Amino acid sequence: MPRPSKPDLLPGTLHLLILRVLQTAPLHGWAISERIQEISQDVLEVNQGSLYPALHRLEHQGWIDAEWAVSELGRRAKYYQLTAAGRRQLAVEAREWDRMSAAIARVMKLA
Amino acid sequence: MNLRDLRLRLRALVAPRQAERDLDDELAFHIERQTRKYIDEGIDPIEARRRALAQFGSVPLAADQCRDARGTSFIDDLVRDVTYACRGFRRAPFSALAIVLTIAVGLGLVACVFTLYDASFLGNAIAHPAELFVVRRPPTPGAKVWMPFTEPQYEALRRDTHVFSGVLAETGGTVDARINGRTATCRLVTGNYFQVLGVRPALGRGLTVDDDQATGGSVIVLSDRGWRRLFAGDAAIVGRTSVVNGAHYAVVGVMPVDFRGFDSVDCWAPLSLLGKFSRAGADGENAPIDPSVRLEVVGRLAPGVSREVATAALTAWVVDDPDIAPWRDAPKSISLTSIADASRVMSALSGLLLFVPLFFAFGLVLVIGCANVANLLLARGVARQHEIGIRLSLGASRRRVIRQLLTESLLLALAAAVGGFIVSRAILVGAVQLLATTLPPDVADEFALAAPAVDWRVVVFMMSGAIVSTVLFGFGPALRATRPDLTRTTRGDTTTDLRPARARNALIVVQVAASALLLVTSLVFLRSALAAGAADPGIRTSDTLMASIADESRRADVVRAAVADPTVAGMAASWPDALHSMAPVGLGLPASTTGQPASDADGGTGRAGDARAVELVTYKFASPEYFALLDIDVLKGRTFTPQEHTLDARVAVVSDSTARRLWPRGDAVGQVTHIEITISGSGPEAHPRSVDGDFTIVGVVRDVGASFAPIVSMQHGIDLFEIPGPAVYLPVGLDTAGTSLTMRVRGDPEQAREHLTRALTEIDPTMGRIETTKAMARMQAYALWIAFWTTMLLGALALGLAASGLVGVLSYVVAQRKREIGVRKALGATTADVVWLVLKQSSRPVMMGLVIGGGLAVTLARLLMTTPLAAISAPLGAAPMQLNDIVHVFDPVAYVASLLCIVAACLPAALVPALRAARVDPLQSLREE
Repeated sequence: MPRPSKPDLLPGTLHLLILRVLQTAPLHGWAISERIQEISQDVLEVNQGSLYPALHRLEHQGWIDAEWAVSELGRRAKYYQLTAAGRRQLAVEAREWDRMSAAIARVMKLA
Repeated sequence: MNLRDLRLRLRALVAPRQAERDLDDELAFHIERQTRKYIDEGIDPIEARRRALAQFGSVPLAADQCRDARGTSFIDDLVRDVTYACRGFRRAPFSALAIVLTIAVGLGLVACVFTLYDASFLGNAIAHPAELFVVRRPPTPGAKVWMPFTEPQYEALRRDTHVFSGVLAETGGTVDARINGRTATCRLVTGNYFQVLGVRPALGRGLTVDDDQATGGSVIVLSDRGWRRLFAGDAAIVGRTSVVNGAHYAVVGVMPVDFRGFDSVDCWAPLSLLGKFSRAGADGENAPIDPSVRLEVVGRLAPGVSREVATAALTAWVVDDPDIAPWRDAPKSISLTSIADASRVMSALSGLLLFVPLFFAFGLVLVIGCANVANLLLARGVARQHEIGIRLSLGASRRRVIRQLLTESLLLALAAAVGGFIVSRAILVGAVQLLATTLPPDVADEFALAAPAVDWRVVVFMMSGAIVSTVLFGFGPALRATRPDLTRTTRGDTTTDLRPARARNALIVVQVAASALLLVTSLVFLRSALAAGAADPGIRTSDTLMASIADESRRADVVRAAVADPTVAGMAASWPDALHSMAPVGLGLPASTTGQPASDADGGTGRAGDARAVELVTYKFASPEYFALLDIDVLKGRTFTPQEHTLDARVAVVSDSTARRLWPRGDAVGQVTHIEITISGSGPEAHPRSVDGDFTIVGVVRDVGASFAPIVSMQHGIDLFEIPGPAVYLPVGLDTAGTSLTMRVRGDPEQAREHLTRALTEIDPTMGRIETTKAMARMQAYALWIAFWTTMLLGALALGLAASGLVGVLSYVVAQRKREIGVRKALGATTADVVWLVLKQSSRPVMMGLVIGGGLAVTLARLLMTTPLAAISAPLGAAPMQLNDIVHVFDPVAYVASLLCIVAACLPAALVPALRAARVDPLQSLREE
């Protein structure tokens, strides 16, 4: 693809991002990837090939729940939303992420 | 794995198409939405779609990754294993079929035994049988008879003591009845009978206390046996009226099939009806109960009362209460016997002990079958080493491969369980039919033979049996198959490992040993049956026939016609029949040494302070013609004169050994002795139920040899009782109701039998079969014949399986060693050398199996002598039988014959593959390198 290359997501962060994006409202897969891209100001681009397996994995883990509903296009789409377990998991992962990024930032600044 | 996960997996499993469509829809939506976005940005729709697709990448790949996202689970693996296994079965349908059939037969056989055991011992409709105790008075010193209760005593016990929460009474013996024209046994019981026992009726209701009043109606309750036997299991029987002993009775209920211990009768009636019930043909008033009627009393202990406390309380009651009149000089104590100890109910455990030999014998065939299957799978496992090697080297874990192999075995076992179920039903139904056609009809009718029903226990047994056999035959091969050296097996080099040979030899040893054991047993039974069949019953059998009268109202006509028939040379009546095969008997015969009539009013059996000892002896009612007709020689005195054809003649004839035992001085003839029949079972109807009086011995006759009688019952399996020849003969006549007829005929007895059957059936259509005495005498070995045929069939099956197993193993070994054999032949080995090589391979395990099997048979025979089968509790009057007397367990001929039989079967089984080995073409087998 002749597109400017985007940096890959850090391993393990896709889960965190999906959970975080779903915190406010139920979204379908495309909207999730759009949302991540939009908020990150096009810095983070979600690879479609890994988005859907990730969603399915999260669903199996019980962190998100899926429901079919009519979309803005007028046809049915699969909307994902956080479950209670997902909310708890998000809190854990967010805290972990804060710790990690702060640590990395300190190393970058002080080393 | 969480709940949501399970739900999603189940959905993917149950509705795979729906799940796939959802996945496709989801991904398609993404692309469409992206396309729309590009269109909204002003891109041409076709280009927009192309871009969206390109951006997404491979849709199938993403879908695949989504499916993988679930990871694999138990269920997915299971589905995969099952599909894989089924594909394997389709590839090799014959070996799968062989496995299923082998196990199905083995499992079916064991299931038969279990079904019988289940039907006989598991579950009891009686609530808390451990609380129930038979209340008895211990016998007087010197006497052997337990003192029964009388009705007033029972009433007093119920009224005045409080150790029981409920106490019931029933007639000590059974009462004969004719229900709708057919003979039936009944027991008269108190109205609280079923309440005390805590039994819920299967149909209708049980008896109530109101039924057992003088004002109560004429009602009966049927047992399951009576219901099926007399009314063909008619579901609408309740409320129907039937004719019992000529009077009308309403059937109010039917008891369940598992009402164990108390249901050896066809029906129950209220005790208050006793007078009417036993007085044939009277539809009148309920007569008052004869106070001398003997009752068996059973009580249910009140909560918190122990057996010791109850015994003490009851004994105190007996001692204190002077009003309990008929105690008189009997010992003033009471004993409580649990219904299990009183042989009323057999516990599941002691039942199991009785069934152990059966389980063992039938289980052996299953074990042999399993060994065969294990062998087959072992061979297949080696054949599949290549495939398994590839799977292992592609990264499958050993556990995963073993699980796959076990799944295969489990599938086979489940198919076998279904097959086994069918086999077991077929065998049971077939066996019952066979018994019904080969047993004497009155015996078959007596037990209302029917294949026992299947309940949940049988189903659980089949399933667990299937799973256990899976472990038996599936696990070993599964482990072994996954052990190969990876680099070798992927090269296709599977033949050098000779270690499985040891496992296979062990299997052959087991099979041969088991077959040897079964065959030895079967031949022991065969020889014993032949010996028993040849035994002399002690009466004239060459030209005599036996018949019984079914319809007493036509007795006179039948007797007249038979006597007038030209083929009949003579006729006699007796009870029990001439072969006394099915009638355990008991009799109180106080040995009177004084020659004086036994004293006056107190006509009971052996009282304290009475010097006379009570002897229990066997008796027979016989008509005056009986002795001459059956060649029973008179040694002293005379037999009955034609005028002495009722008990009123007060004369008796004793057997030689009885005379010598009781009157050692040889002065038996002329003695007057008191005779009392204390156990009144079924008997001549015209006679009083209990014989009680003084009889003059008029003669001594030759002993009639003791015989043993097989008694087949659902409760106790097959019991063997030794019935000694009659010790005392009491007079009856041809016209005495209830007696059997014995006829001496002219000419061929078989032709006479057919002729008389035709002639007499015309007079009485309900007339039972007429049999030659010879055939009936042979029947005495019936139980042994059953045992012989059962073990014979099992042994043959076992031997067949063992032989086919041997062929399989040796064929495999030959195939494995083809290369080596080729080399040997190329180096100059002759055909004989090669055949010998293969035979040698099998001779060691076969010989070892023979030795072990023979040794096991001896050991088990010794063991068997200590099980309940050996020391059968005999009915009163019959000597307890030692199994060894009937079955000669250490019969050397049986041992040698069966071992030869096995060698004879194994030799051709080994020769087939040996000859195949001999035909190996050295050039070709070397070229295969």
